[in-house]
Amino acid sequence: MDYVDDLVTLLPELILVALALVIITVDLFLPRRHKWLLTPLTVGGLILAGAACVVVWGVNDTVYSGFYVVDDLSVFFKGATIVIGILSTMFAPSYLLTRRIPLGEFNTILVTALIGMCVLASSADLVTLFLGLELMTMPSYLLAGLHKTDRYSNEGGLKYFLLGSFASAILLFGIAWMYGLTGTTNIDELAAVLGGGLSPALLVAVGFLTVGGTFKIAAVPFHFWTPDAYQGAPTPITGFLSVGPKLGAFALLVRVFADALAPLASEWLGVFLVLTVLTMTVGNIVALTQVNVKRMLAYSSIAHTGYIMAGLAAYAAADSQEVAAQGIESILFYVLGYGVMNIAAFAVVGMLQRDTRRYGGLNSFAGLAGRAPLHAAAMAILMLSLTGIPPTVGFFAKLYVLLASVDAGLEWLAVIIVLNAALAAFYYLRVIVYMYMRDPETDPAELDRSPIETIALVTSVVGVLALGIFPGAVLALLEVSAASLF
Amino acid sequence: MLDGLPILSLIVFTPLIGAVLLAFVPGTAHRAIRWIALLTALITFGFSVTLLGYDPAGAEFQFREDVPWIEAFGMRYTLGVDGMSAVLILLTTVLSAVAIFYSWEPIATRVKEYYVALLLLMVGMLGVFAALDLFLFYVMGEVMLVPMYYIIGIWGGERRLYASLKCFIYTFVGSLLMLVAILAVAIAHGNETGTFTFAYEALRGFAYADALQALAFVAFFLAFAIKVPMWPFHTWLPDAHVEAPTAGSIILAGVLLKLGGYGFLRFSIPLLPDAAVTFAPIIIGLALVAIIYGGLVAMVQPDMKKLVAYSSVSHMGFVMLGAFVFNEQGLQGAIYQMISHGVTTGALFLLVGVIYEQTHDRQIAHMGGLNARVPGFAAMFGLFTFASIGLPGLSGFVGEFLVILGAFRYNGFVAAATMIVVIISAVYMLWMFQRAFFTVPSDWMGQHWAKLRDMNRNEWIALSPLIVLVVALGVYPAPVLELLAAPVDRIIQAVTDSGMTGLGPLW
Repeated sequence: MDYVDDLVTLLPELILVALALVIITVDLFLPRRHKWLLTPLTVGGLILAGAACVVVWGVNDTVYSGFYVVDDLSVFFKGATIVIGILSTMFAPSYLLTRRIPLGEFNTILVTALIGMCVLASSADLVTLFLGLELMTMPSYLLAGLHKTDRYSNEGGLKYFLLGSFASAILLFGIAWMYGLTGTTNIDELAAVLGGGLSPALLVAVGFLTVGGTFKIAAVPFHFWTPDAYQGAPTPITGFLSVGPKLGAFALLVRVFADALAPLASEWLGVFLVLTVLTMTVGNIVALTQVNVKRMLAYSSIAHTGYIMAGLAAYAAADSQEVAAQGIESILFYVLGYGVMNIAAFAVVGMLQRDTRRYGGLNSFAGLAGRAPLHAAAMAILMLSLTGIPPTVGFFAKLYVLLASVDAGLEWLAVIIVLNAALAAFYYLRVIVYMYMRDPETDPAELDRSPIETIALVTSVVGVLALGIFPGAVLALLEVSAASLF
Repeated sequence: MLDGLPILSLIVFTPLIGAVLLAFVPGTAHRAIRWIALLTALITFGFSVTLLGYDPAGAEFQFREDVPWIEAFGMRYTLGVDGMSAVLILLTTVLSAVAIFYSWEPIATRVKEYYVALLLLMVGMLGVFAALDLFLFYVMGEVMLVPMYYIIGIWGGERRLYASLKCFIYTFVGSLLMLVAILAVAIAHGNETGTFTFAYEALRGFAYADALQALAFVAFFLAFAIKVPMWPFHTWLPDAHVEAPTAGSIILAGVLLKLGGYGFLRFSIPLLPDAAVTFAPIIIGLALVAIIYGGLVAMVQPDMKKLVAYSSVSHMGFVMLGAFVFNEQGLQGAIYQMISHGVTTGALFLLVGVIYEQTHDRQIAHMGGLNARVPGFAAMFGLFTFASIGLPGLSGFVGEFLVILGAFRYNGFVAAATMIVVIISAVYMLWMFQRAFFTVPSDWMGQHWAKLRDMNRNEWIALSPLIVLVVALGVYPAPVLELLAAPVDRIIQAVTDSGMTGLGPLW
């Protein structure tokens, strides 16, 4: 009967599954002009799932014969997943309905992806992990190509699918090697068996896992799929794609590298340091040259991946458990903070695409401050947050990574991070320049002012500022979450 | 009456309240917006006057406030002032009020955003001077950056986008490197003592490893040297000044540059005294270059505002020189020079603004003979020109004199070189004054001649506090010097405690 008892610990996932089914069913019976009701429905369900996360907080149990772990780390990831899910849902309806993209399907697929992310975060076994990963990425491919009549969306979806499957295959191959070498796929057992250096065969296995994992977070040099996938997808969906699957992939990296491969930390550290530096630098340099804000944000998301990876590097380089935990905490804080600010930033781009012929060019932002002071101010705060200027969550996230790096003895990495942050200031500020310091075009981009989207935008900006000024509440949660790894 | 009030928080956050209030005023109600901004600045000034109640014989930092902020990392909201920061806060509130009042007429577009930006800028500036927690100091410094960027970028001149971005990026790079250094210092201290803190008083006087001191000092140096700005990090300054609106220039020259000097005196030297001693000769060398180079380049500037901007490079060189000779006269002179420079340069930018508003031109060659047409303006320009040169009886003299005195105690040659530069400063200022005010009016000026007016009532009101200060500080410096005595002693103490031996061999 354990299996039934264990069900309680799966409460958030179960609610999400039920939600997905409810949405499909309700969608069938809703007349077209009432479709927008699906958004409050989904948000309500997600809030319920969020409440369920509170229930399972502190459970810290491994269930289903060691395949599934409900520790505070996984619950934190789930909470962040749901926050991202709520924002993604709220930013979508007007944009999608204008383009006749079916809202019911969007919400269902989104919730399915969220389930995948939750499973991924909770996996105690490489098999569960792969299952969660696919459950997350399959819907993501669909989401990217959801705008069926738009060729960019088609292109993006296809690219995302092909390269994503390729990466999944590589990862799976790595898992197979791992199993062949150790005879287990259980993460805890792997951590116990591994250690004592890399044999050539183990090197191959770790190599495949690294390539597959970094593909999923879009680290350089495995990032080529992101700009097209992100630019092609409908903008609010791009917002989700840039943070949701990224959060999931980081949950994967934490589970695989900071848990299963933890004994080999000193072996994989070097590779990760190289990838970290490459990722942030290349992401920033390429973002500099973009004139399309959507594409710019896509490249900048690569740069942010680099900053988050620095947290993992700090974990590996740490010489004490406390410092190692700090590295993990910085990852958690960054994915949450980045999730909120980036989704909101994409949402503003989407709001400026009310005219469906617009593709998020910089010039649609020209003179926005005069036309829509509230939206311009919100976007400015988001850009400053992405740059990393206090008092915003983006600043604090960067600070956390810096702190972890310096604490782990990687001062040079901290210096590279801040130089990159300065580089990023160029292109983030350019948006502010267009909004505040340029005159509007003769035919200025029309702005979507639908209430749901506006509420979500204001909420995100308030969150960005509040978490930047008083991060204390979240920090306490982080400490508990990261502790469950050790 | 004021006992128990969190007076420093009131000073720092009154402008923020004003800015929030402004957000609710309709953008077209220009009169209401201007009055709210001005009243906010005046109230802030009123609060800051109470800081004169600082007791030089009492505790080092007074008006302290200390609240935990982000406890997980040991960051605290700690405010407090000593004599040096009290004086600088007063300077800030005075100059902010002047800048806000002066902007009354010149700023006619996007009035609301302008005053919101100015008030937010005040929050950052005041916070920086009041912060006693290194992290809070960093945050406040960054908070300042964005409004300044907006002020130059929106209300600036033709090349405002270039200038504002350059100003932003320069400062941003410097301060980010400083952030890494702050973290490194706090972590080193935390690992040794077990308590992780950013509190200034705890981090000061801790014996950091030589290598850390050297690297952290370089990072701090970059951050503050860019703000001062020291040669060769000064190139953003002329651009920013020339493009900034007048009020922006007043604040930039009057307060923002002081942050660099303040940073050296408050943080670099007391936190990392060994490194400071080691690097002092290099910094003194750079300061000399700045003094001479700034003066020479100022001499050949055709643009009046740019000339004043380069003179700032030269004058701030004096500050750096005084700070790193590590004796009482030098340090007192450095701080005094900061205050005096804030007043005189602020006033000069204001006066340049007065003429620019009428002719939309600042070329010295385009002026000439102004004395005949606008005598009141000419008289005031003369007054501040002389104050800038350092005429005895005006504020500039005290600081310069003390710095040169300090330099003499350090090294006769350095002092001699500095003295010569005083002559250069007389040359460029007086030459400009002569060309603009006494020669025959240029043909170009002829077109504007009939329309030229003398300073109007508002401009006199805006300028009057600065006139009072420039004379008072020059005639009777004792009260201010008294306030500065204790902070200066502490800086010297920090350096002598370290043994004056500098860093050991690093490699």
